[in-house]
Amino acid sequence: MKIRRVLQDPSFPSLLMLILLVVVNAIIQPEFFSFQVFRMNCMTFAPLILASLAQATVILVGAVDLSLGAGISLLTVVMASLMKDSAASIIGVTALGVCLALFLSLFNGFFFGYFGPPPLIMTFATSTMWFGISLLIMPTPGGYIPATYYGIYSKTVGGFLPVPVIVLLVAIAFCLLLGRLKAFRHLYAVGGSERAALASGINVASIKIFAFLISGVFTALAALCVVGQTATGDARSGQGFTLNSVAAAVIGGISFSGGKGNYAGAIFGGIILGLLTNIIYFANITSFYQEFMKGVIIIVALLFGALPRLRRALLPSREVVR
Amino acid sequence: MSSNTRPRLRAVTLRSLGGSQLAIALAAIIALFVFGEIISPGFLSFGHLMSVLRLSVFLGIVALGQSLVVMAGGEGIDLSVGSVLSLGVCISSSLLLGKDANIPAALLGTLAAGFGIGMVNGAGISYIGIPPLIMTLAMASVVEGLSLIYTGGYPKGSSPPFLEALGNGRTVGIPNILLLWVVIIVGVTIILFRQRWGAVLFGVGANSVTAELSGINVKRFRMFVYGVSGSIAGLAGFFVLGYTGTPYLNLGAPYLMTSIAAVAIGGVSLAGGSGSYLGAAIGCVLLTTLSSILVALRTTEAVRQIVYGGLVFVIVVAYTRRRRD
Repeated sequence: MKIRRVLQDPSFPSLLMLILLVVVNAIIQPEFFSFQVFRMNCMTFAPLILASLAQATVILVGAVDLSLGAGISLLTVVMASLMKDSAASIIGVTALGVCLALFLSLFNGFFFGYFGPPPLIMTFATSTMWFGISLLIMPTPGGYIPATYYGIYSKTVGGFLPVPVIVLLVAIAFCLLLGRLKAFRHLYAVGGSERAALASGINVASIKIFAFLISGVFTALAALCVVGQTATGDARSGQGFTLNSVAAAVIGGISFSGGKGNYAGAIFGGIILGLLTNIIYFANITSFYQEFMKGVIIIVALLFGALPRLRRALLPSREVVR
Repeated sequence: MSSNTRPRLRAVTLRSLGGSQLAIALAAIIALFVFGEIISPGFLSFGHLMSVLRLSVFLGIVALGQSLVVMAGGEGIDLSVGSVLSLGVCISSSLLLGKDANIPAALLGTLAAGFGIGMVNGAGISYIGIPPLIMTLAMASVVEGLSLIYTGGYPKGSSPPFLEALGNGRTVGIPNILLLWVVIIVGVTIILFRQRWGAVLFGVGANSVTAELSGINVKRFRMFVYGVSGSIAGLAGFFVLGYTGTPYLNLGAPYLMTSIAAVAIGGVSLAGGSGSYLGAAIGCVLLTTLSSILVALRTTEAVRQIVYGGLVFVIVVAYTRRRRD
């Protein structure tokens, strides 16, 4: 039964919430379905969606990456301080940025995989280091990003396909490709029960490193989008992504204890947070209340995600019937 | 909780307090002080030692709530302590208005606000099943907003003479707040090791199923621990006001991750059910000494962040490796 599989998917509650938010957003913003608004929304949502995919991968293997935001900041700082106008420079620095993103996540993955420290504190420590390095390179926001680079980010290909959408499609294709890999199934096994995975002969350490490496690919894409969006290097530009990516993954039904959930949920979670921010913006809430509302909204979104669990707790018989 | 269950109390021994891990942390503190004396003569003087210890106290109070939450298990962690501390500063200064007579009201108001926030955290975590990390992180955002709304962006009031004497004054060269901390450390150690409540805390943290089977309402207990952590963070704000004299927004931000690092360095297992507050307190002194060294080296903010992060990284990785052997 295909429908039942959809209903029981961990990301299903977030899909319902996403539909609800699209309706609410369309009501308060009448031009919501126009192409211009769609394009703008894609440009603003893409970095968070990609960051959520990165965070989701790490959460699936049973860790968490608090250095994700600082990593994105570091990438913007490095790219903005090196990039020149020539095409060779743009391509070269972009490639360098991707390599650096992979290196940062490999660093986290290596120590997490082989030494097994609590990921929360370990990635907090690396987050502090990445922030320090960014400040060292660029004490105040600045640098230079050629117009060609950020011009591409706001382009629309063929009159109907904004570049951020293409980036997202590439990311989704990458997700689908990953789903076919044996190592990716092992990632779920390690996240579900490390001991069981070890007992069945899975190389746990290398699967953990593999997870961080994949997360590095998504982080790189997120950083490229952030640079395209802001056109500056800023040691603090990535800060918000850490909390938001974790929240998006959890809202999308990815279990914090690891091994449960999927990429669809992370994408839904990212879009949900983006739409909620839109709604706050259109509700004209004064800046004093914005921080407050941001927290309240994440908590409300989490409550919504917890509804099926609550229902199960209240009606235990349902579970038996299944 | 039924009255016929008898919790197992632990003996206060060097081993149960943290053993070799504490010895390593203490050795690290001594090494840092010697190093400090070499790069900046006077670092090892009694006066400077006392001022480092005094600065550790504020972190130490925050770390108390953090330790309790971590010890209670269930992936327990409280990322809202920083913003609750900031809110505590704002609430207490607005209630104190520089008058000693207002201290009871301010203390009560701060503790109540912190407790309420903590209980909301606990309810979301225990009864709705939101992961502690994300629940308390979102709550941090809410509380930060509450501070802004409450103060309108400009916190008013100031600390009264008595609180100022507590935060800045010294008795025979020893900071008053440090004396208070020693009393707190001894009191908390007695509660954790020799009282029923402490035994229940370790029991819940070590194995929640066994605790539930022996008649403890684990969900309600954990919710309450978050309430306690919140009120302690508020209390820390009250003391920090005594140190700064006038309130500022966001005084709590630097305490958040440092409190977690201190708890981990002090040998409190992040899985819950073990550790001691004395360990966390020594972790606080170690981290405060470290940042004091970085200030003495006249490093820029950037270098300070790199060294601080790097050392926490090395400590965490090294500790885990040792525990595995």
